[in-house]
Amino acid sequence: MRIWHMLRARLQSMFFRSRRESDLHEELRLHIQHESARLQATGMGPDQARLQALRTFGGVESIEEACRDARGRAWLDGLLGDVRFAWRSFRRTPLVALTIVTTVGLGLGLVTVVFTPLNSLMFRVDEVRNPYELFAVERERAANAEPARFTRALYDAFLRETTAFSDAFAQTPDVDAWVDGRRMEGALVTTNFFDVLGVSATHGRTFLAGDDRPGAAPVMVLSHRAWVRHFSSDPGVLGRTVLVNDTPLHVIGVMPDGFRGLKVGALDFWSPLSLAGQFHLAHDDRGDATDLGLIGRLAPGFTRDQAIAQIQTWDTRRAVERGADRPSVPLILEPRLGTVPQPLEAVALFVPLFFAFGLVLLIGCANVANLLFARAVARQREIGVRLAIGASRRRIVWQLIVESLLLALAAAAVGFAISRAALAVVVSVVTSTFPPDFGDIRLSIPAADWRVALFLVSGAVISTLFFALTPALQATRLDLVRAIRGDVARDARPGRARDALVALQVTGSTLLLVCAAIFLRSSWAAATVDPGIRTADTISIAVLNEERRAAILDIVTREPSVASMSASWPGLLGGHTAIAQPAMGSPDPASTAGKPTVQYRLVSPDYFDVVGVPIVRGRAFRNDERTPSAAVAVVSERVARDLWPAADAVGQVLHLAPEVGAQNDDATPVLSPTAVVVGVARETTGFRLGGVRANAVDVYLPTTAETAGTTLVLRVHGEPEGTRRTLADRMAAIDLNMAEVRTLQTLMRMESYLLAIPFWLTLALGAIALLLTVSGLFSVLSYLVAQRTRDIGVRIALGATRRSVGALVLASSARPVALGLIVGGGLTAALGAVLLASPAAESIGSSVRLFDPVAYTVSLLCIVMACICAALVPALRASRIDPMRALRQE
Amino acid sequence: MSDHTDVLQGTLDLLILKTIVLEPMHGWAIAQRIQQISHDLLRVQQGSLYPALHRLEHQGWITAEWGASENNRRARFYSLTRAGRKQLAVEVSKWERLSAGVHLVLQGN
Repeated sequence: MRIWHMLRARLQSMFFRSRRESDLHEELRLHIQHESARLQATGMGPDQARLQALRTFGGVESIEEACRDARGRAWLDGLLGDVRFAWRSFRRTPLVALTIVTTVGLGLGLVTVVFTPLNSLMFRVDEVRNPYELFAVERERAANAEPARFTRALYDAFLRETTAFSDAFAQTPDVDAWVDGRRMEGALVTTNFFDVLGVSATHGRTFLAGDDRPGAAPVMVLSHRAWVRHFSSDPGVLGRTVLVNDTPLHVIGVMPDGFRGLKVGALDFWSPLSLAGQFHLAHDDRGDATDLGLIGRLAPGFTRDQAIAQIQTWDTRRAVERGADRPSVPLILEPRLGTVPQPLEAVALFVPLFFAFGLVLLIGCANVANLLFARAVARQREIGVRLAIGASRRRIVWQLIVESLLLALAAAAVGFAISRAALAVVVSVVTSTFPPDFGDIRLSIPAADWRVALFLVSGAVISTLFFALTPALQATRLDLVRAIRGDVARDARPGRARDALVALQVTGSTLLLVCAAIFLRSSWAAATVDPGIRTADTISIAVLNEERRAAILDIVTREPSVASMSASWPGLLGGHTAIAQPAMGSPDPASTAGKPTVQYRLVSPDYFDVVGVPIVRGRAFRNDERTPSAAVAVVSERVARDLWPAADAVGQVLHLAPEVGAQNDDATPVLSPTAVVVGVARETTGFRLGGVRANAVDVYLPTTAETAGTTLVLRVHGEPEGTRRTLADRMAAIDLNMAEVRTLQTLMRMESYLLAIPFWLTLALGAIALLLTVSGLFSVLSYLVAQRTRDIGVRIALGATRRSVGALVLASSARPVALGLIVGGGLTAALGAVLLASPAAESIGSSVRLFDPVAYTVSLLCIVMACICAALVPALRASRIDPMRALRQE
Repeated sequence: MSDHTDVLQGTLDLLILKTIVLEPMHGWAIAQRIQQISHDLLRVQQGSLYPALHRLEHQGWITAEWGASENNRRARFYSLTRAGRKQLAVEVSKWERLSAGVHLVLQGN
């Protein structure tokens, strides 16, 4: 109740200001009437009574003011006053206000560019019925255990034997599929999938129970995104039959736009689980062996803990009934909302991005702080007067901060616009430059919600504290008497703070630009790296449908622009490892453990010629040795050197053993345990893809182009792209999904493209940072020169040369810049060292040249040049000061 | 004037709360009532009465309503809220402790 009365009184005093004022006025007037009535009753005349009443009452105005203060309303009125005051001050100096809003807005906008996608990854709950009831049933993650998943049989048992979930569905991991010649991603689900999630189709229908029966017509449901992207939003798609991995599927429905199937990004389609065989998901042709994920909706009345207890009991009982050990890792329930399952890992991934983008905000804030320091000196007179007529220092600091806060909030609005525009540019650039051969890229502009707004506003408040607090404190530290007299302190400059700010800016710019240079160098190195095989005129054809292999071979051999053809298993980017050692007597299986592994590859005899790998000694395979069981091998120079350091490798016997614990799928051919080395091939360095080396082959074994599973590798006459298109078109005429034709050049471009993204990112950020730094340095020096005009005039009058005056100005900027360069360079190197010490070092270190000296030198030189340019103009202006005029000005 | 005592700083709140505990009253009447009940020993400064009333209203201990006074004049009537009643008890016990303490000190000498 008290709260209610307090709230009412406070709200009234806040919003019904005029009514409250008139109430107060009326109340006091009536009091005086009462009092004079009382006095009249004692026999006084009306006028006299009124006067007497007024006299005893005291000053009406001051009592009214005391009442207002008692209501604590002064704070709000004071704030409104501050806002009005700030507005007038912006009107007087619009350029300063504009500079601050743009600079801080730019910084805030860039940080928001990073925050917006993170926000949608972490908080964008999928549009399904009550997602907070949905939990995935998983085994606890153990460090060294394989994540054990569910089988169809286990799922059926789970549904039958537990009651914690009102219903649950099972789904496969995402599967790649070729749908009418385009790559799509989908998942196979139990038919209750859409019912459990409580979502229905916008067009057509979702699954019925019958869709999963063996022999039922195979069907698929499209996501909204796939419908728009691959079927041009054609409503006639319903009932159409599309070829998915050579199986004709009927499209029966299209899901609504917001629905993502509890994934972070929407899949393209969903099909019934009974089609697992068509997607080559089932091991040993047993449909029930498929890896399944289980997600269920908690039954009413069950808490998460109760449900966990029930399913753990069920799990243990089941294991005991089958005579197995108790399950080593317990079952747990993970909430499933359509957000990233491991939010902390997502944040960790975004930390470097926040750091890089935040640097620009930091540099911008440093610029603004410098500007405010200069403003504080210009406003000494105004602030001095206000202090002198009784404003408290705290009041003025508060007012200055309100001024900055208003600007920062305006900057937050500007930042929002900037972040939307920047995200749109990034998305459109990446989607338009992403090579289509690499696959389908799923990028969309993440939506902004209230969290983004909150982020911007809190960012604005924090920035304000950073750039406005110290200048405000500085501005109010005044010698009152001198300020009032107009004797404005010329040397009230916080020199050290200003130097520190410049150093900070240079540090940030250095960090960003060195990183940009490192990425540029790495990207360039990746683009020009020699993989050791011919790439200019090589095409690879991955056979997706083995039944069509003969047709593909036919098309390839008929194509006149194909110079020669060979086969390779696995494809050019793949590789399989085994343990190789010289065969001496009987190979000891135990001795293979811990031995270095080699990459081996099955190739047809022409392969060496097609990809241009010369045989240095011995010979290539003969046409009669075209199966792995022929027991012959060609080894690389490195393997020849390592295994037979003293002797010639040709003629030696090689022992090959599968790696211990290696996963061999069905397609892995049976290797003969020993092979006679017939030739030594030149070393190939291989491609680098995302830091992983591919196609560095150590041991070659024979195969043929007719063997299932092999990829065709062709050499063509002339430009490969034309031939690629001809071949692809011709194959599409027979069967859209039978093969994937790529030129090797595209594969080569992949790595440099992956490095080009961070390069452009850091370059853009570094350029903005450098621009801000240079403009900051320029304005600080110009301001200092203007402030010290008299001082410099005196020096020149006393005989200082103009050159030495210019040098003085340059030198005053040299120290903070040098400090910034050293700290920035050091920080970058330290970051590199930390990266190399991290677990990711292997993949990063091989593709990114962390300590490239050229990158460091060039970017540091760039910054030095920019800073000299920024300092040159003020230095020249200082050296041109006319001593007579400068001295007369006083 | 020496037979009047100005109300002690800090006791005005207590006096106001106590005065309006029975019925809602307007500002002038509160001042009169305090003076009258204390047999003219206590006099409320008008200049501090109204700020005190507004402060108590702001705290949520009293609430104000416009109404007609005994001689049919308009006036702003203050009444205790539930929280105000509790506060009154707190203030009374505080005052009793204080006056007992002061009394003991005076007795001791």
